Amino acid sequence: MPDSGHSLVVGGLNVAYGESKVLFDVDFTVDPHQIVACVGRNGVGKTTLLRSIAGFLKPLSGTVTVDGVNLLGQRPYDVARMGVKYVPQDKKVFSDLTVRENLELGSYATKDYNWDRVLEYFPKLKELMHRKAGFLSGGERQMLMIGRATLGSPKVMLIDEPTEGLAPSIVTHLKYVFSELSKHAALVIVEQNLPLVCSISNKVYAMRDGRIVAEIPGGASLKPADCEPYL
Amino acid sequence: MDTQLLIPGIIFGLSMASVYFLMSIGLSLCFGLMRIISLDQLLYYSIGAYLTYTVSVYTGSVWLGALAGVAAGGITALAVERLIFRRIYERELTFSMITSFGILIGGIGVIKAIWGVVPRPVRMPTPELISIVGTEVPVYRLMVVAIAALVYIGIWLFLNKTITGKAIRAGIEDVEHVEGLGINVSRLFTITFVIAGALSGLAGGLHAPLIMVDPNMGLEVLAFVFMVVIIGGLGSIKGTLVSSLIVGQVVSIGSLIYAPLALMAPFAIMLLILLVKPTGLYGSTLVKK
Repeated sequence: MPDSGHSLVVGGLNVAYGESKVLFDVDFTVDPHQIVACVGRNGVGKTTLLRSIAGFLKPLSGTVTVDGVNLLGQRPYDVARMGVKYVPQDKKVFSDLTVRENLELGSYATKDYNWDRVLEYFPKLKELMHRKAGFLSGGERQMLMIGRATLGSPKVMLIDEPTEGLAPSIVTHLKYVFSELSKHAALVIVEQNLPLVCSISNKVYAMRDGRIVAEIPGGASLKPADCEPYL
Repeated sequence: MDTQLLIPGIIFGLSMASVYFLMSIGLSLCFGLMRIISLDQLLYYSIGAYLTYTVSVYTGSVWLGALAGVAAGGITALAVERLIFRRIYERELTFSMITSFGILIGGIGVIKAIWGVVPRPVRMPTPELISIVGTEVPVYRLMVVAIAALVYIGIWLFLNKTITGKAIRAGIEDVEHVEGLGINVSRLFTITFVIAGALSGLAGGLHAPLIMVDPNMGLEVLAFVFMVVIIGGLGSIKGTLVSSLIVGQVVSIGSLIYAPLALMAPFAIMLLILLVKPTGLYGSTLVKK
């Protein structure tokens, strides 16, 4: 059942690693086709937030719904099948498998065997199809991970630090890809690159000490200086 | 060394390597994908051998018995995975080791209750000998080697040419990423565990005509199987193959040179390899993902 038109709704989310609480009553919403950025210093809980939504962590309390369907308590593979894809920060592809085999696994999971959109976003993957993913550069790995995650036409994509350590030309290309992806899905991007954040985001959530401390409207008026106090 | 001794020694070593390989592959795959130490594989090996004994007694066919052993190994593994391992996958590595050892000891008790404690002989499926460089060697030992080679090819094809096999390989690298794609890893775990159990059952079935089948037979090969997995590197199929060949030959040739070497030499080789390469020949670092 649709939930007030939002794609993703996170309400009162509390997460802990053992005795150590990391997220405190996190609330946020993402509308369809929105790009929402999440900024904050290292260790404030941004990755924990994405991993909790994706089902890799069990929250203490709170709600996570996608198109009105509750995700809490689901296994990560069920969350992925329900249309929420998580692209982790580590850029770890399956290095022993070729690029083609990596994509095949994405297709196997989603039963989506049409790679046209993936190759349209990342044409370079065409020429790398038979290369072992372990031999790809950081940028190529990121292309593969994002491309693989787009299979199955997810409703929400959670992308963690996508531009970290990448060359400026690849960052520019990713900016284009994110804009294209937002035509099909809502995006939540954890990112430290403020010029990129400002140029693509419809909304920015700033985090500090496991809490969302600011909601900053996006668009043309958004400047890096608006986000800098939170880094 | 006299070729009259060397040739049978090498064949004996190869057949032992084949049995070790079939048993170790399950342990290795289970560690690689699920990060568990599945000592209960030794129970499926014993079950395979006992089923081979019973079926061969009633039907006269050892091969049928070995097939029954494969099925029994796989089915028992399925039950154990569903009832026990599924609850402990996320626990520490030592937890799975202790649990699986408990399953092994409990299973040995069940075997004693069903078949008794007296060792049982299984007749050779084929008594023929074949001449290699003027030396007579049992055909059955060569058949064991050939079956193990076919299993290796089959496992290789499964892991490299099927999508489930590719998902298992991907899971050995990073199971969380596989799950994040939307692949049901619980199903992958079950498939892997059942394959491991069936191969251990096959090892028991093939080994049965070469030894006396007794309730503690799993414990008797425990040290060798552990050595194979550790030397090869936990999680590596290729490593398991290479190390089982090394251990098989070291046991066999070692015993020809000086009998006590058969037990001591593999440990010495393992220590030497671990000194140079602590993760084993082809292994990755021992971490709980």
